[in-house]
Amino acid sequence: MAGGKLTMPLAAAAPVQACATPRGRAFRVRGAWLLLLAPIAAFDAILFLTPLGTLVSSSTHNQAYERVLGDPLVIRSLINTLEISAVSTLVTIVIGYLLAWVIWRSSALMRVVLFALVLLPFWTGVLVKNFAWAVLLQDNGLVNGALQGLGLTDHPLTLLHNRFAVVLGMVHYLLPYAVFPIFAALAAIDNRLELAARSLGAGELSVFRRVILPLTVPGVSAAGLLVFIISTGFFITPVVLGGPGDMMIANQIDFYAMELTDFAGASALALALTAIVSVLVAVYQRILRAGGTHEVG
Amino acid sequence: MTQPTTPISRRSILRTGAGAALAVPFAGSLLTSCSIKSSNAAPANKAVTVTSYGGSYNDQLTKTILKPFEKKTGIRSTLLANTSLAALKTQVQSGDVQWDLVELTAPEYVQAVKEGLLEKFDYGIISDKGLPSYAKAEYGIKYLSFLFVMAWDQKHIPDAQAPKNWAQFFDQGRYPTKRSVYGQLSDSSVLEAARLAEGVPFDKIYPLDVDAALRYLAQHPGRDKLIYHTANQEPVQQLTSGEVTLSTSFNNRINAARKDGARLNFTSSNAVLAGDYFVVPKGARNKEAAFRLMNFMSNDADAGADFDQTTNLTLANTPALAKLPAAVADTLPTSPKMADSILVRDDTWWAENLKATEQRFKLWQAGS
Repeated sequence: MAGGKLTMPLAAAAPVQACATPRGRAFRVRGAWLLLLAPIAAFDAILFLTPLGTLVSSSTHNQAYERVLGDPLVIRSLINTLEISAVSTLVTIVIGYLLAWVIWRSSALMRVVLFALVLLPFWTGVLVKNFAWAVLLQDNGLVNGALQGLGLTDHPLTLLHNRFAVVLGMVHYLLPYAVFPIFAALAAIDNRLELAARSLGAGELSVFRRVILPLTVPGVSAAGLLVFIISTGFFITPVVLGGPGDMMIANQIDFYAMELTDFAGASALALALTAIVSVLVAVYQRILRAGGTHEVG
Repeated sequence: MTQPTTPISRRSILRTGAGAALAVPFAGSLLTSCSIKSSNAAPANKAVTVTSYGGSYNDQLTKTILKPFEKKTGIRSTLLANTSLAALKTQVQSGDVQWDLVELTAPEYVQAVKEGLLEKFDYGIISDKGLPSYAKAEYGIKYLSFLFVMAWDQKHIPDAQAPKNWAQFFDQGRYPTKRSVYGQLSDSSVLEAARLAEGVPFDKIYPLDVDAALRYLAQHPGRDKLIYHTANQEPVQQLTSGEVTLSTSFNNRINAARKDGARLNFTSSNAVLAGDYFVVPKGARNKEAAFRLMNFMSNDADAGADFDQTTNLTLANTPALAKLPAAVADTLPTSPKMADSILVRDDTWWAENLKATEQRFKLWQAGS
């Protein structure tokens, strides 16, 4: 409200000065708009920047970085995080692409149904999904029961508390984050391009490889990076579905804070994770921008 | 269309312990001024917030101690289930102390004292008449003794074939199944169990040879045969759901599950006797009420006897022991009849070695 009142007199006064300094007018109006951001900036400063400051200052105590980066368990968790995130991202993108493709090719009604199927798990809590998988995958769970019932194996397979279960749980969570950007990229394609390709004699595979796929590359990269960024912060899934060998960096932060009560070490680790994710976010935004121009062109 | 906002921020900031730990001091500093004022305005101490381990144990504590205490004194208690030294430390450091009486394991107690996080116990309010000598400490009371035991699912392992010692418990030839063991060491004795399994006598267990214990576990039953629980109620859930047929647990948890009809059992043979402390965080708002509750716990014979009988744990309350029938007294962790078949956990060793050993164990779990 205050911002609105403030803008009015500025805008009204502007024409008088406009002739003399057009740049001054633009500056003033933009300055007034910035005031509208003040509540958000204050909110951000209180709830994000201040705790971040505490985190930074806490991480400088007791040679936290030296200790943490010299801990073989941390190195192991970092490697785990990168490996698990990369595999989950790859699987999510492949399945997500197929799903987006099917939705894109479906009739209007079918699209609604399929979108609902993608959205339903999206709205379900990650903890609920993870425990559901834990129940399904345990030694005497539904999956092992079915495998043994069908005579495919005579003893229960180890499906739970390992890397496979973690990736499965993560992909289930991440799928919507891949489907939507890829679908958006597919939906943006001018369908006359496909007709043109066909009229020049291209088969189904050729159309996909030479027309559709290149046009969706920016969408896929954006989805891939988004999914990868989210993957690096997973905490609950490795706890519920993974074994001790699948600890990710968030679990390591938890271990430092809760078990070792080493808050300096936990802060240092949290900042390391924040730094990695920040770099990825920057890259993500570049790809989004590049993707935008590509679609327009 | 998508809502990409929540997962990153929620996961990386709120879900991690550090995020929570570091957000709290900040929120605390905003609140401190009001909270000091309110506690000055209301000195009556009509309530006490107690924090323990949850599950069946919390139900038992409410029924046998907290309700009778309220009836007698009018002091209401809130019992929470999320006790942790890390949270206590955060509350004290931020000056926003929410808890009045907090359960800590023995090594955690020593660490909290070392870091200056606790209030001195006021033995003017707490009469030490009922307190056994081992229980009375400057900054807390070792109010509880329990047994770390091996437990099994009777549907798959009938009592006749059940393990009688840790060597049998870990024997892969005898039980080719998975075992659930406590993933943290603060109040679990899985490393001691491995040493006992190897045949080390009780009086030679400490100082604990951690590497030897881990070597034993890698061979018997093997890393892939171990899964880890982190909450005390988890083994009961894992055993009753059939996820595992053998697990480590505590005697009171299995007893409570049996009373609820679960087909589980345990043995006190080869058990490890350990204890937990109740402490008062520095700056607790209702410390007077907390001390009065401690006084009640240590001296009220009826409540104490009810507690011992219901939980099969020993409360640090000597008058209560006199009221118990022999059949119950003989099953308590501190019963002289069991002294020869159980190991007493060495709190001093653990207080000095807990952190390093936790890290070593975690690394071993991860495969190195």
